[in-house]
Amino acid sequence: MTSSPATPSPTGRRAVRSDERRRGVLRLASLLLAGIGAIAWLGRSADPASRPLAAGPLSLGAAIALTGNANLYGQDQRIGLALAERWAQQDAAGGRAVRVWLEDGASDEPSAIAAFNLLIRQGVIALIGPTLSQQAFAADPIAQRQGVPVVAPSNTAKGIPQIGHFISRVSAQSSVIAPLSIDEALRRDPSIQRVAVFYAHDDAYSTAEVQIFDKALAARGLTPVTVQRTQLADNDFQTPITNALQRAPQLVVLSVQAVAGGNLIRQLRELGYRGQIVVGNGLNTPNIYPICQRWCDGILIAQAYSPELNTPINRDFQRLYRQARGDRRPPQITAQAFTAYQVLHEAIQRLHSKGGLTGVTLGQARVRLMHELLAGRYETPLGPIGFSPEGEVQQQRFYVAEVRMDPSGRDGRFALVGQRSLNGARP
Amino acid sequence: MIDNGLLVQMLLGALLGLSVYLPLAAGQLSLATPAFYAVGGTLAALLSTRWSVLGATAAGGFPVLSLLLELVLGGALAGTLALLVGRLVLRLRGIYLAIATIALVEIVRVAILNLPFTGGAIGIFSIPQPFTDASGYLLTALILLVLTGWICQRLDTMPLGRAMAAIRDDELAAGCMGIDTTRVKLTAFVLSAVVAGTSGALAAHFLNTWNARQGSFDVSITTLAFVILGGSRAWLGPVVGGLLLTALPELLRPVGDVRLVLFGLVIVLGPVLAPRGLVSPELLERLGRWGSPTREQKP
Repeated sequence: MTSSPATPSPTGRRAVRSDERRRGVLRLASLLLAGIGAIAWLGRSADPASRPLAAGPLSLGAAIALTGNANLYGQDQRIGLALAERWAQQDAAGGRAVRVWLEDGASDEPSAIAAFNLLIRQGVIALIGPTLSQQAFAADPIAQRQGVPVVAPSNTAKGIPQIGHFISRVSAQSSVIAPLSIDEALRRDPSIQRVAVFYAHDDAYSTAEVQIFDKALAARGLTPVTVQRTQLADNDFQTPITNALQRAPQLVVLSVQAVAGGNLIRQLRELGYRGQIVVGNGLNTPNIYPICQRWCDGILIAQAYSPELNTPINRDFQRLYRQARGDRRPPQITAQAFTAYQVLHEAIQRLHSKGGLTGVTLGQARVRLMHELLAGRYETPLGPIGFSPEGEVQQQRFYVAEVRMDPSGRDGRFALVGQRSLNGARP
Repeated sequence: MIDNGLLVQMLLGALLGLSVYLPLAAGQLSLATPAFYAVGGTLAALLSTRWSVLGATAAGGFPVLSLLLELVLGGALAGTLALLVGRLVLRLRGIYLAIATIALVEIVRVAILNLPFTGGAIGIFSIPQPFTDASGYLLTALILLVLTGWICQRLDTMPLGRAMAAIRDDELAAGCMGIDTTRVKLTAFVLSAVVAGTSGALAAHFLNTWNARQGSFDVSITTLAFVILGGSRAWLGPVVGGLLLTALPELLRPVGDVRLVLFGLVIVLGPVLAPRGLVSPELLERLGRWGSPTREQKP
């Protein structure tokens, strides 16, 4: 059967349309390919490291979690960085001005990589972040390869400074801090024999910290009577709690993130547990108070920061925090973010006064800044700190706090109950 | 401004979009893409960090040939897994198949989380680098995308592609016409797995680290959004959807804290304003006609 062009048959029309569609696909695909090629060509030279260092203010890039499940920490970090900028402005007579470019590193790896790439391309001299250790394992190698110093304000997992010689942190490893709160619980009740442990088995921070708690318990002759594995996104813990309470624990150890931890504590108390609760670094934020409310009262937590430390810099930090947030006490994560900015700021000022930032490229300035950063000693809100040649923070003082809630049950504070100076850790 | 690192993520997004599109072209709503992506990524992460024969150097370098081998092995392992699971899950249709594939994603995620050699929740890090910057990844991802696109385009004129389209339109009628529907659906499922597994192997190196979170249910939904926004009737739809939705959160950074609100609005408004996706068959026909003499529409 034939058909004239004027009266095509259904089959003929289909063939023509199929032909047009194929041509359309080819055209659109070529267009996309050309677009990708053009963008790739424009984006090929992303790092301005070879350009001379500009005379104006220096930029620090901060990639922290403002969205995603780590955003509770990111909000505290954002405050810490803003306060540090104000502190530096008050302190900066004659020094080199430093400003912060803040980007959302979200709570996943690709976003942290994108934020680091963006900030590096904008020509920052150093980076602060990312919020989570898992993100650090993805984003830090990029900064390392491009020779950009990184100061991690909240990565506590093992192996972060070992990513490379441009990577450092001001957040002490969990292995140093976590056992102190167990000691405090045992001091209060030496008869403790039965311990229940809860942790989120799909969370990097929890799984790393729970191993440290396990070691600390074993070193004190305690074997957990039950280990309950929860999930990062869980909010209902009735089943694991019921299972654990059947073993009549005298001490509960929790290593979970803030929101889950707040709910877990509340449900533990509601289901009748009256013993001591020791929690990990994930609950080191006042943002848990509205979640577990009056049930937060009495939980023990080891900290790398105490608001009660009476030093000039901590008093300055507290004053700035009160001005910004009213009559509240700053949390550890805010103090660590402040410290991350402070150590970079002080290293930049030292380098500037030595003339180390004159007549160099941005790449050379980054290398010099890293050397200066690691060589320095700093009086920070965390106490006196320094760095090992690898970039690991060397902090001398750690604290154990107890949460004391107001009678209203809506707000509370971390009250200092113990302090420990670790020998061998150089300030 | 899009840098080459973001462009790599966009191309990986487009590849994952195609991986969801392939079973959909045979009428099967499979959300298993992240499971195969995770399998490919975990295999590449394990091989490059544990198997010294592949030639990872102490300085973190990695031969490109070894990467290519990993891409092939990642695709092959994901394809084999799809072949084994596909026979079971493809008995289900529609929403039941979607639920079964979500279960597969969960099983793979929990397995990776609990296997003794995959690093638990922290995963595997310090994955060696075959390229010194993102351009190498860009070229590799682009070649993979062009290759997958070419196969999808060829499918249109091949008996397999026509059989897939017939099953999508009416599975019962296709079966009555003598098409072995099980075999065709399984082939599409395996092809989808190969694309996802290969993409995962490349992504593991690009991300420097690999953990169970990379293949979660969230990724199922994101990749499905690529297809819904881009369009499921032409292979260029998921490609455009993947490129666009991966880039958008980054391009919206200048608007600050509301960027994810705007991103959500695009996902909501996209299907409302373009129910058949941004790249519909009609658009492609108009594009094909453009510049050529107008044909008569009606006798």
